[in-house]
Amino acid sequence: MTKTNTSERLLDVKGLTIEIETRNGPATIVDGIDLHVNKGETLGVVGESGCGKSLTMLSLMRLLPNKIRVTKGTAHFAGRDLQTMSNSELRKVRGGEVGFVFQDPMTSLNPVMRIGQQLAEPLIYHRGMNKAQARKRAGELLKLVGIPGAEDRLDAYPHELSGGMRQRVMIAIGLACNPQLLIADEPTTALDVTIQAQIVDLVKELRDRLGMSIVWITHDLALIAGLVDRVAVLYAGTVVEDAPVDDLFARPAHPYTQGLLASIPKLSDERASRLSSIGGTPPEPGRRPKGCPFAPRCPLAEAICHDKVPVLESLVSAGAHRVACFVAQRKLEAA
Amino acid sequence: MTVVPMATTDIKEEPPVSLWRDAWFRLRRNRLAVFGLGVVVLLAFTALFGPYLTPFDFLSQNLDARNMPPSLTHLFGTDDLGRDVFSRVIFGTRTAFLVAIVVTAIAVVIGVTLGALAGFFGGWLDRVVMWLTDMTMSIPNLLLVVVINASLKSPISSWMESRYLATLNPFYRETIWVDFLLVFGSMALISWPPYARLVRAQVLSIRSRPYITAAQALGLTNRIILMRYVVPNALGPLIVAVSAGLGTAMVLESAFSFLGVGVNPPTPSWGNMISDGLRVWQHYPHLLAAPAAVLGLASVAFSFLGDGLNDALNPRGAK
Repeated sequence: MTKTNTSERLLDVKGLTIEIETRNGPATIVDGIDLHVNKGETLGVVGESGCGKSLTMLSLMRLLPNKIRVTKGTAHFAGRDLQTMSNSELRKVRGGEVGFVFQDPMTSLNPVMRIGQQLAEPLIYHRGMNKAQARKRAGELLKLVGIPGAEDRLDAYPHELSGGMRQRVMIAIGLACNPQLLIADEPTTALDVTIQAQIVDLVKELRDRLGMSIVWITHDLALIAGLVDRVAVLYAGTVVEDAPVDDLFARPAHPYTQGLLASIPKLSDERASRLSSIGGTPPEPGRRPKGCPFAPRCPLAEAICHDKVPVLESLVSAGAHRVACFVAQRKLEAA
Repeated sequence: MTVVPMATTDIKEEPPVSLWRDAWFRLRRNRLAVFGLGVVVLLAFTALFGPYLTPFDFLSQNLDARNMPPSLTHLFGTDDLGRDVFSRVIFGTRTAFLVAIVVTAIAVVIGVTLGALAGFFGGWLDRVVMWLTDMTMSIPNLLLVVVINASLKSPISSWMESRYLATLNPFYRETIWVDFLLVFGSMALISWPPYARLVRAQVLSIRSRPYITAAQALGLTNRIILMRYVVPNALGPLIVAVSAGLGTAMVLESAFSFLGVGVNPPTPSWGNMISDGLRVWQHYPHLLAAPAAVLGLASVAFSFLGDGLNDALNPRGAK
């Protein structure tokens, strides 16, 4: 695994807030998210469905659907402000410097275009290649992502490939222009478990070979344990915990993270034991509690949790381990 | 670590089958559609090569052989000026195809452009285009054609006549194309809204599909996304509409010519032949039957073909 000590931030998101327009006025979906990715680092973003993971990533590239808007906060990529840069500049970043891999490989490829053409598109556009060069490079890319008979597959249509193969093609498209950052939005959710492991291994190998940074969004903590350097845990549109991956598994500080880890089934469990789960459901956008968004479901919640919103702060003992929880922070001070 | 090889069972060994090829296989299994396609191809062939297939000119009169019943020399008989009806029906096919193809082409270009832009960009552009579409659709088409004919035709014709007398330039002598220009223009003007609506609806649904977001995330320009990702995916229903639209345009041309506001004699059109035949049908039914039967056949053929294409291109909608 590539670990880097440089604190140079490739992606730096501060206080990002996203709102959706509803009939009852604007509702907050993402509430002041702080995220950063260092050069060469792999960040895992974990959270349950609807916590704003995907929207945050789409908002970085200004790809939000209608009626959903960034209302506060900044996002910088390699020192440049993504929210204010011109459209033409942004287009160079999209695909050229930041590659995207989407959740559903079945619908994320253009069904009426051959695989080779779809791979060639960004190469022609961003790298100024001619058709022959782009086709040659497309063949190399398919080989790179481990598609057998790569050259013959260039003329295939998406519907002729299996899900796993299509996701490999998506990854190849995302990597086409050697991006500095690859954003993978739940790239394995739509795939079989065995194929999931293959894709994770593939990305890990490609990262080590190409030396890029990765943001891997998922709701499956166990899947990315061996892949990422650091994990940011999202709950209801806020980062509740941000820690190096080993630290997070060894000493989860936020009650939500603890609950997530406890809900992963283990082979050593007794056969008849019930799967542990977190009671309740996340708050709907527009109906967020006044204090900590997790307080209504939290087993450790105290009076202050229902009243004030905790901020993401470093735990005193470990500078890189940050958590947004009154109880966890006090426990540590007492210790 | 190495890349895990994929299981080989994932790979199909057949050559790539495009969506269009797939649709063609499905179309071939539909008998009515094949019949429709056959008739359309035959009519198109007749329209293209008709003048070389018949020994008679569609204008040459033979006053010794007026109103002859069908015979081996004159397959569909002759009319009241002794002109060969078969030749005239064939030339009418030419007129019908010319009008249908040109009108549909103009309507499709206008409709697809406006519909795609409106659906893709939305906002005020969408509102303006939809407003224009609704407004155009609210105009009674027959009325519009009559108005255009009444207001524009004679000034243009007399202007051409005076130009010809003044300059003797042969360009101004022939006025048949003024007929066609007016017919094309007025029909195209009323035919584009259905295409615009169809394409807009298609684009609205395609715009929110993940592969469009994926294309945007690749940094492609809106122009490329619209032309390579959005419009090709909207083509299926459009092809069906065009096939049906060609038939409709033919019928519409005949209807206008029948009423005397379309193509005017002596240029043969199924419509004005039916109109002529109607006056004498009790005595010479073949003068009405021949053009009417061909018009009916063409209309039915295009509609069968359209249905077949619909089933072939939208397999999920088929029974």
